Amino acid sequence: MAVDKSPAVSARAVTKSFGQLRVLDRLDVEIPRGVTYCLLGPNGSGKTTFIRAIVRLLRLDYGELRVLDQPVSHVEEIYSKIGYMTQHKALYPDLTVEENMQFYSGLYGIKGQDRDQRVEDLLGMVDLAPHRKRLAGALSGGMYQRLSLACTLVHQPELLLLDEPTVGIDPLLRQTFWEYFQGLAEAGKTVIITTHLMDEAERCQMVGYMRAGRMAAQGSPEEILRQAGLQPRIRLWLARPEDDASLLRSLGYEAELVEGTVTVTLKSHAQIKELLAQLNPQDIRLYEPRLEEAVLRLSEEG
Amino acid sequence: MKRPDPERVGVVALRVVRQLKRDRRTIGLILFAPIVLMILFGYALSGEMTGVQLGLVDNGGHPALRSYIESQKDFDILYLGSQSDAEKLIIEGRLDGAVLIQPDGVGVLLDASSLQISERIAAAVQGGAGQEEAARKGSYLPITKRYIFGYDLEMIDTIGPAILGLVAFFFAFIIAAISFLRERTLGTLEKFMVSPLSRVEIVSGYILGFSLVAIVQSATTLLIVIYLFGVPMRGNPLDAFAIILLLGAGALALGSFVSNFARSEFQVVQFIPLVIIPQIVLCGVFWPVQSVPSFLRPLSSILPLTYASEGLRAIMLKGASLPVIMPDLIFLGAFFLLTFSAAILMLKREVG
Repeated sequence: MAVDKSPAVSARAVTKSFGQLRVLDRLDVEIPRGVTYCLLGPNGSGKTTFIRAIVRLLRLDYGELRVLDQPVSHVEEIYSKIGYMTQHKALYPDLTVEENMQFYSGLYGIKGQDRDQRVEDLLGMVDLAPHRKRLAGALSGGMYQRLSLACTLVHQPELLLLDEPTVGIDPLLRQTFWEYFQGLAEAGKTVIITTHLMDEAERCQMVGYMRAGRMAAQGSPEEILRQAGLQPRIRLWLARPEDDASLLRSLGYEAELVEGTVTVTLKSHAQIKELLAQLNPQDIRLYEPRLEEAVLRLSEEG
Repeated sequence: MKRPDPERVGVVALRVVRQLKRDRRTIGLILFAPIVLMILFGYALSGEMTGVQLGLVDNGGHPALRSYIESQKDFDILYLGSQSDAEKLIIEGRLDGAVLIQPDGVGVLLDASSLQISERIAAAVQGGAGQEEAARKGSYLPITKRYIFGYDLEMIDTIGPAILGLVAFFFAFIIAAISFLRERTLGTLEKFMVSPLSRVEIVSGYILGFSLVAIVQSATTLLIVIYLFGVPMRGNPLDAFAIILLLGAGALALGSFVSNFARSEFQVVQFIPLVIIPQIVLCGVFWPVQSVPSFLRPLSSILPLTYASEGLRAIMLKGASLPVIMPDLIFLGAFFLLTFSAAILMLKREVG
């Protein structure tokens, strides 16, 4: 079978305004298939609007948007390949866990043993199997969220759009989720997740940082760090810091004196070894740049 | 117990006012709905009837009585040759009653299924007889009343069938409007939109689902009206059922449509007076359509409950057969199709 190389989602100059407010502003983005992609950005940066544009819950003012190699105007035809989880959870509190899942299976024409098997598997994944007979309305917030995710996955979509899926979920289960998402990506599915949590973004293969309706930066987390000009730094506790600092500078290192220690900005991690070979520090500490810093820096530049 | 803190009360009140300020629809409804309704009630209850279809067979002898009846503005008079013509037209529902003027007395033929109309006709004949007696200086004029549909009905008998329709309509409307709104607020509607489910399927599924409720509800109300209140069921109960269901389906579709204009349950409730009360007032539920002033009559003739109550009365009180109520069924069917299409179109427009 030929592998479809077209991007899962590609947007060019996508623009949408609500009245005076321009929510998507000539947004360009290309999301390849088979990745976990994080739409990161502060509240109001247009993440949810972009997701809603992908499923055509709103019409664009301008721009070109393609979803699974279809123009967005024809996205209705491939709704069965899309799984969309809204921030609203979209569950019926007066139905049981199982009934909610059966309802959504039914919408996609999944029935019989196939349905029972999928419901079983997903309930296991989201750790709700013991609660299958409980009313959804009686579940805790985190459980409700998990059920909502399970209902979104029941038709095994090719493209998953998850709007803040891990809000209110405990760290252990969050880990399970991420492993599951990565598994889906490895199986060729595309998982697009919005979040404003940095540590979530760092788990994704690709990150698009949105600000004011545009992509302020995108790429793998490492690429974003590079775009922001952030490099790892190493702090060295040395016997003669002043002398060593000038020595390092003469050797072409970017070194500075900080509170009696020398901090060197690394061009690559290979430099650590070189440094340790030349000097004999009493102690060292490595500072890896955080995505958060990168994003803040990129925001300030904008 | 803690005493209420005026400041906190003020904070709450301010919030309510602020919310209201942003909710123009509620303001509009609070202001205008009562005005509209009071006007409707005022006119409808003013008690003047027009357009009562009255047959007149004059075999001579009482000119004063005849001219008195002709002078009444309530009646559209159809002059007939014989009593049997009059009876036939009453049975077919084309006349509300007839007056037979004979040299030896006056006969009144009445369609008892509308109490107010038959009382109005009887009163007019009584008045005319008074005139006639005065003209002849006191000689007594005998009046014989005969109900074409068997017997003198009670108020509940004539109102009961119409109430059936009203109840079915009212609940179907509210159920559909509120639960469709819930789909919206729960976010499930949005999820439907991004699923293979089409808009027609959404609305149809809804109506179908609630039809089950409507069937149970109409069956129970029908039984109550028949067995508890002793309203007769002369026709086929299935015909009555067909009318109620068709009306209910229209109400469900209307509710789904109207829920598009409401952002909260609170707003749905505000639509009740606008949608329901005009039908109570204008559709011949408690008082006949004939007592609605003529400039409001066109409104009566486009409201579904008018046809439902007319059809139900015909079936239950007169034993009307399917062909007789066919026009009512056709109108109710058309109303359903209209509201159904409107509900679907509205759902489409939602995509911004």
